Amino acid sequence: GAWAAAGPLRGHWAGGSRSPHAVSPQVLGWRVAAAITWSVLLLPICTAAFIILSGLDPFHPVRWISNSFNDLYTSYVIFCIFLMSMVIIIISIFNIEFYAVVPSIPCSRLALIGKIIHPQQVIHSFVHAIMGMLVTWCATVMTKGRFQFLAVSCTPSEGLEDAVPQMCLNEYHLFFLLSGAFLGYSYSLFYLINNMNYLPFPIIQQYKYLRFRRSLPLLIKHSCVESLHFVRNFCVTYYFFGYIPKVWICTTMDLHTDGKLHPLDTLSGLLDLSLFYHTWLSGVFLLMTWYIAWLLFKIYATESHHFPIQPTFAQETDQCLPKILNSNPPLLIKFLALQDLMLLSQYSPVRRQEVFSLSQPGGHPHNWTAISRECLSLLSDLTQRLIAQQEAAAAANGRAKPPVGELKVPPQTPGIASMSPLVKPSLMPVKTSPGSDVGSPFSSPALNYKMGVVDIKSPWHGPVQSPHVMRRGPKLWTSVSDQQMNGSHHESFPVLSAARTGTEAVQPRFIYTWLQNKQEQCTQNILVSSQHPEASIQAVFSDAQMHIWALEGLSHLVAASFTEDQFGVVQTTLPAILNTLLTLQEVVDRHFKLPHVSSKPPRISGSLVDTSYKTLRFALRASLKTALYRITTVFGEHLNAVQVSTEHKKRLQQFLEYKE
Amino acid sequence: QLSVLLSLQLTSEDMIAAFSQAVDWAGCTVRAFAWHPHTNKFAVALLDDSIRVYNSNSATVPSLKHRLQRNVAAMAWKPLCASILAVACQSCVLVWHLDPTSLSTRPSSGCAQVLSCPGHSPVTSLAWAPSGERLLSASPVDTAMLVWDVSTETCVQLQWFGGGGVTYLAWSPDGSKVLAATPSAVFRVWEAQMWTCERWPTIRGRCQTGCWSPDGSRLLFTVLGESVIYSLSFSEYRGEMQGQVGGSKTASIVADLSETTFETLYGEERIGGEVHSMVWDPTGERLAVIIRGEACPLFPPHSGFVRGERGARPQLISFHPCFPQGALLTVCWSSGKISHIPFFFVGALEPHASPRRSPVPVLGSVREQPLFSEL
Repeated sequence: GAWAAAGPLRGHWAGGSRSPHAVSPQVLGWRVAAAITWSVLLLPICTAAFIILSGLDPFHPVRWISNSFNDLYTSYVIFCIFLMSMVIIIISIFNIEFYAVVPSIPCSRLALIGKIIHPQQVIHSFVHAIMGMLVTWCATVMTKGRFQFLAVSCTPSEGLEDAVPQMCLNEYHLFFLLSGAFLGYSYSLFYLINNMNYLPFPIIQQYKYLRFRRSLPLLIKHSCVESLHFVRNFCVTYYFFGYIPKVWICTTMDLHTDGKLHPLDTLSGLLDLSLFYHTWLSGVFLLMTWYIAWLLFKIYATESHHFPIQPTFAQETDQCLPKILNSNPPLLIKFLALQDLMLLSQYSPVRRQEVFSLSQPGGHPHNWTAISRECLSLLSDLTQRLIAQQEAAAAANGRAKPPVGELKVPPQTPGIASMSPLVKPSLMPVKTSPGSDVGSPFSSPALNYKMGVVDIKSPWHGPVQSPHVMRRGPKLWTSVSDQQMNGSHHESFPVLSAARTGTEAVQPRFIYTWLQNKQEQCTQNILVSSQHPEASIQAVFSDAQMHIWALEGLSHLVAASFTEDQFGVVQTTLPAILNTLLTLQEVVDRHFKLPHVSSKPPRISGSLVDTSYKTLRFALRASLKTALYRITTVFGEHLNAVQVSTEHKKRLQQFLEYKE
Repeated sequence: QLSVLLSLQLTSEDMIAAFSQAVDWAGCTVRAFAWHPHTNKFAVALLDDSIRVYNSNSATVPSLKHRLQRNVAAMAWKPLCASILAVACQSCVLVWHLDPTSLSTRPSSGCAQVLSCPGHSPVTSLAWAPSGERLLSASPVDTAMLVWDVSTETCVQLQWFGGGGVTYLAWSPDGSKVLAATPSAVFRVWEAQMWTCERWPTIRGRCQTGCWSPDGSRLLFTVLGESVIYSLSFSEYRGEMQGQVGGSKTASIVADLSETTFETLYGEERIGGEVHSMVWDPTGERLAVIIRGEACPLFPPHSGFVRGERGARPQLISFHPCFPQGALLTVCWSSGKISHIPFFFVGALEPHASPRRSPVPVLGSVREQPLFSEL
């Protein structure tokens, strides 16, 4: 009911007056605003649940409930809600700044470490730690009791009758604050490791409310379990290092330690069930509010958007689907446009008619030409990329064969250049990963859009977005590998560690080099084996969602054209479409025959964290085949009249006989 | 709600037997049957949990066996695909990837994908989207039906509370709607774009079976305990309906199958009763039903009967999805035989009309002289 209120809100940007090139800020702006509004509106509910649960008193249920409800209206709770709304807004801003429709997949553990120490991630972690501390501070204030203040008056000892009551450190409060910081940091770390900035598009369309409701049980479960893990880890950390902040706080704020109370960095201190419960509960509260903000942003951002095919007014040309597909909008907008293309081709005869229509003066099929051109260029891009990867794989296989003696081979082909020092042929002949340059240090994020598409502005972790990126990488690399070949890691070592302390943000590349040298020296086994071919294959297909939609949209349109295309506009491009699809089919087939490519998708557990990018290549393979069958089934024998090469004709015949 | 509780107490085998489209699922040799949507190929699930795939162009009959392939309740071939077969088993859905050119008679169990979800067993019904992209699976004990992306093995749960699980699924041939029957006296029709649903309570019992007209505008269904066929019409599908199922308010009775005396070649016979399963041919001009406890399917509008061999009862019926000269009905008999019965006719509009455009026959018309075919 109330949820639907967001609908009319969106209506604004669909119908209001627009300036040219304004489609993306408008689409995204409203989505972001709605997502933030809802996450802030849901905060009081979470807070109420937290207050009720934190006052848990199973022996006096009536008093417990009435006390909790009385607490809800107190001024400090309202202040806390206000403060936490600010936190939610900041967290949402980070979600927006960091989101990506194409995930960046680290191809090795080393690359992951590189990501973690990247300045942008450091800022992310730092801010999240602070935010975590703020939230737990609010939690302590709302819990009241012994956790509320940092400084309390010491328990008066019997012997000394001091006139001046001394202020003592409330270690529980400190414990809480630190746990908040720890949770915030852990959240940020897991956000990075699990690629939670990735926006997966759902496999079926559903209303936002239903999607939210479907994910809510998972979200609660995930928060509870994760909070348990984080709190456990925090307890261990506090046991070992807890004295450092304690001493520091005591000295800076001139507080005393209360000798009467158990110190918490001991086993007996930590075995306090109530403390554990409250820490866990505030952890659940923190994670839930943050995950809700994250989930809502995901749901809003991936909701389908209706792009017009033909402009009603001249100034609206920029918002039209063909125009958007052919321009270079933020990737998210491009994704939404392709998704819309898939939907209209499948469900909307009226809009399909617009696609097949001719322009009014002139009689050119501009819409169809623009749409099919873009889809075909996307698909042939993918074909090129896969061919390059396969060539690299072939080269790598050839290279892997030489015997043990030959350790460091200079990069021969661009494709395998960047990771080659990591992979010693003697150690892992098969695992030499052909596409690993993709997520490698020097494939620069060529398409770094303002709205945050994989906006990790490092030179090292851009996902592959075009073949150009792959080609650019090795140039940078060669210098490094040369250096290694000259045996100069020992020389570079001190310089680099100095650089690390000084200008970490400015020269990340050196640290990376240093890390690699380090790896060369000591941890070959662990790290090299972690350099995973699976990850590099995932990286090649990381934006395959676009290609899947292009395939679906194109094939549905072509199939529909059999009965709906009055002017025969599709016929002219049919040979090109079949050519592109069949070539891609060959290349994809060949890809799945590569030695280390698994033919079955890995199991995905139904968890909150979406890892669908790991299986995109399987979806691509399936929809490619379905797309070809969709065309051949509808056109049948008529396809024999289409001009394609003999080889493709053979393949088409196979499809016509259902033998592929 | 009693039936819901009852269904939870049944063992899963009893449950499959109760909800299966096969008349005598527990005892008959043939448990499930599926025509390939584009070619002359069909799969038969047998009592010993193996599946045979027969192909008119090939003498090899692959036999599919898998550790998890137990108590097969339903099968479905993936549309727009050469050879992918989904099998509803006791504990999971198996998706077999068969090589259409292979001559092997025992495909390895490595060819099968296992789709399982906790709490979603036994699976009693499957339905592929006609566009071949998604698979639906349903279990009588799971209140959610699952939409699978088979290639990535991910699923989305479509939860709707009330009415227990889902016993039977039927996707309309135009892909716009899905019928989902429940163990209680209510069934739902989902709209397959935004996945919202409308629910229809039935008066007497649960919805036993249902089938769609080729253009997806009309649903025929039967209810346990009543010997009539209901029809429910839907507003014409215009695409991008944004969550409107668009069903009419009430269902109308289009055929009364209660017991009547017929003159047959063998004298007078009393035929009629509850409908157990029902199929509509792809041109929309023939409807076949199995009447519970009777030996004969029946075909309105030109009603006729098919009599099997002495003592044989029909178990399963299915129409060939692309028989060019009319319609081809396949009947699996309790004796274990499978017979194909062709119907040669010229469609009402044009013989080779696009299947989506075929007309809806006027049901419940005046009974003409009963046709009678004997095997």
